[in-house]
Amino acid sequence: MPDGSFSHPQERQFNPYTENGGTILAIAGADFSVVAGDTRQSEGYSIQTRYAPKVHKLTDRAVLAVNGFAADGNMFVKKVKQRLEWYRHAHAKDMPLRAIARLIQTMLYGQRFFPYYVYNILGGIEEDGTGAIYSFDPVGSYERETCRAAGAAMALVQPFLDNQIYFKNQQAPADSPHPVHLPLQDVLSIVIDSFTSATERHIEVGDGLEIYVILAKGRSAQGLESIRNVQEMSTNPEGDRVFVIRRELKKD
Amino acid sequence: MASIGGGGAYSYSLTVFSPSGKLVQIEHALAAVSSGTTSLGIKASNGIVIATERKSSSILIDDSVVEKVAVICPNIGIVYSGMGPDFRVLVTRARKSAQAYWKIHGDYPPTKILTQEIANIMQQATHSGGVRPYGVSLLVAGWDFNRGPTLYQVDPSGSFWAWKASAIGKNMVNAKTFLEKRYNDDISLEDAIHTALLTLKEGFEGQMTEKTIEIGVITVPTQEELEAGKIEGTGRFKPTFRKLTEEEIRDYLAL
Amino acid sequence: MSIMQHNGGSVIAMVGKDCVAIASDLRLGVQSLSITSDFEKIFPVTDRLFVGLPGLATDVTTLREQFRYRVNMYTIKEEREIEPQTFAQLVSSTLYERRFGPYFIEPVMAGMQKTPAGGYAPFIAATDLIGCLNFAKDFVVAGTASEKLFGVAEGLWEPDLEAEDLFETISQTLLNALDRDAFSGWGAVVHVITKDKVITRKLKGRMD
Repeated sequence: MPDGSFSHPQERQFNPYTENGGTILAIAGADFSVVAGDTRQSEGYSIQTRYAPKVHKLTDRAVLAVNGFAADGNMFVKKVKQRLEWYRHAHAKDMPLRAIARLIQTMLYGQRFFPYYVYNILGGIEEDGTGAIYSFDPVGSYERETCRAAGAAMALVQPFLDNQIYFKNQQAPADSPHPVHLPLQDVLSIVIDSFTSATERHIEVGDGLEIYVILAKGRSAQGLESIRNVQEMSTNPEGDRVFVIRRELKKD
Repeated sequence: MASIGGGGAYSYSLTVFSPSGKLVQIEHALAAVSSGTTSLGIKASNGIVIATERKSSSILIDDSVVEKVAVICPNIGIVYSGMGPDFRVLVTRARKSAQAYWKIHGDYPPTKILTQEIANIMQQATHSGGVRPYGVSLLVAGWDFNRGPTLYQVDPSGSFWAWKASAIGKNMVNAKTFLEKRYNDDISLEDAIHTALLTLKEGFEGQMTEKTIEIGVITVPTQEELEAGKIEGTGRFKPTFRKLTEEEIRDYLAL
Repeated sequence: MSIMQHNGGSVIAMVGKDCVAIASDLRLGVQSLSITSDFEKIFPVTDRLFVGLPGLATDVTTLREQFRYRVNMYTIKEEREIEPQTFAQLVSSTLYERRFGPYFIEPVMAGMQKTPAGGYAPFIAATDLIGCLNFAKDFVVAGTASEKLFGVAEGLWEPDLEAEDLFETISQTLLNALDRDAFSGWGAVVHVITKDKVITRKLKGRMD
C-alpha cells in the first residue's frame, strides 16, 4: 500500500543458527588424553577463516573442543571458563574433570529450549590420574568414552576410530588380547591420519590442525618434546601438563 | 502414408523377384557399379591401402572438392565404385552410426561392426517400399584393437566379405587378376601402396597424377603407441586411418 | 527420506597390485525394517568383471537384467567379451538414457582390463545415478554408508596391496563402515579378482 502498510499479512523469519563446519576428535589413553580439531571455519561454501581454534584449554588438566555453530561455541566456552574461574575463587583449586563434565551438562540443559548449537568433547585427566574423554550432545546428554569424533566429518572419522582404537571387527590372537589403551605415539598417528583423511574427502575440513595433549602428573613426556611444532601450555610443570601440537592441513 | 523406405499401404517395393528367383534390380545396381570408376584395396602386414581414380568429365569441373575416399571415424575409411550421390548418403549414415556407437561405448566401432551397419542399410534398400538399391559397392578399411587391420567389400545386395585385396568398378576383373599375381601375405604397406598404383595404372585412361587418384591408408599402431594410449591434451587416440595428401601421392607416383 | 535410502545397502571397490576387489553388504530393508540378509547386489559381468548396484532394490533387479541384455547383445555382435572400460561406458549411457526419470542406483564396477601388451590391468569405476563416470585410481564407494566408507578407506587403503592384503583392507573398511550405518549391514560379500581367478568370500559382521 502507498502508506507503507500491506494488504496481506506477511510472515518474516529469522534463523538464529548456522553451521560452521570443521571436525573435532578426542582419544583417551591410560594416563593421557588427546583432543584435536581442525582450524577451518566456514559457512556454506565460503571459508570465513583458516584459523579459528575449536579446542580450548580450560585448566591444566581439562581441554574442551567445541564444534557446530561457532558463535554459540565461543560464547559457551567463555561461559564455562567464567564458571571455572568462579570455582577457583571459591575453592582455591581447579575444578576436577568429572565436575566440569557435569557443569557442562547443566549449562547445556539450561538452554534446553534455545540450545547452544554445539557438540562438545571434553578431554583431560581425572583426579585418579587416568585419561578421560566426555562427549556431549547440544542439550547436555553426555558419556565418558575412550574415543569420539564429532562435527562435519564425524561420519568419516568415527568408523575409522572404531577400527583403530576399539579394534572393532578385528580378532585378537588368543595369546595377546587387544590393548585397552594405546601408547601416545600410536594415538597421535591415528589422530593425524584421521584428519588428513577427513581433509582429503570433506570440503569443510582442512587448513590447520591443533592437537592438545594432556599428560597426567608424574608421567614422563617421553618423545613429546621432540615432536616438531609442540608448545607447552601448562602453568605448573610439576602437575598435570598440557601441550599443543600444531600441524598444517591441506587448504583446498 | 507413403514415405521413403516406409511400408505404407500404397508403397511397393521396386525390388521384386523374377520368376527365376533373381532380383534384377540388384543386378542392375551391380551393373551400375561395374560401369563406375575402378577402386581397390590391399591389406598389408602393417596397414591397408584403399585407392580409386577420380577423373572429371570436363576440365571445367573444380575437382579439388570431389571426395571419393571418405573418413568415417578415426579408425575407418571407405571408398566406392558406382554412383557418387548414393555414396554420399551412405557416408553420412556410416558417420552417424560410428558416432552413435561412440556415444554408447566410448570407442569407435570395430571395422566389422561398422561394415555390418552399412551392409544393413544397403540390405534394407533391397526390400523396403518405394526405394531402389544403392548403386555402389564399397571397400571398407579399418583397424581395431581386437581384429587388427581388416578390409571389407560391401555390395548393393547388402552382402559383405573380408578381403586380403580386392577391386571393384570398371576394371575389377583385370585388376583382381593383377592383384592375385602381385599379392603375398607379408607385403609391407609401402609395397602395397605401390602395388595399388600399378594396379590402377593397368586400366587407367589418360595421365595418372595426384589430381586424378585418391588414396587412403590404415597404419597399424605400434606397441609403443598403443601403450602410450590417448594423446596428451586432446584426450584422443592417434587416428589410424588417414587420406594421403596430394604431395604424398605425387611422391609415390614419382618412385 | 530419500528414495536412495529406501532399501539401504552399500558397495565399495578397491585397486590392488595386479588385482581388484569389490564388496557389499547383504541387507535388504524397507526404511528401518530389515527384510533379508542375503540380498546380493554385486553381479558378475564377465569372468574378470563385476558390477555392484546399490540403491533402490527394484532398480537393482531391473538394471541387472538391462545390463545382462546389453552385454549379451554386445558379446554376440562383437564376438568377444566386453572390456571393463567399455562396460563402464555402457553403464553410463544406459543410465543417462533415463536422465529425467533415473534409476535410483549408483553402480560400482571392478575388473581386470586387457592391456595392449597382452596383460591385465586393474580397473575400477563408479557412476552417479545418471551415469556420470568416476575412474578413480584407488577406491570407489557408493550407497547409504558411502560417507563412512570414504572415511575408513581413506585411512586404511594403500597402493600396491597383494590380493590377500587387499581382501583384508576392503573387508575391514566395509565392516567398520557398515557398523556405523543403520541402513547397511547384515553380513557382507567380498570378491577379489585377479587375472586368472576370482575369490569370493562371505563375511559375518555384527548382524544387527
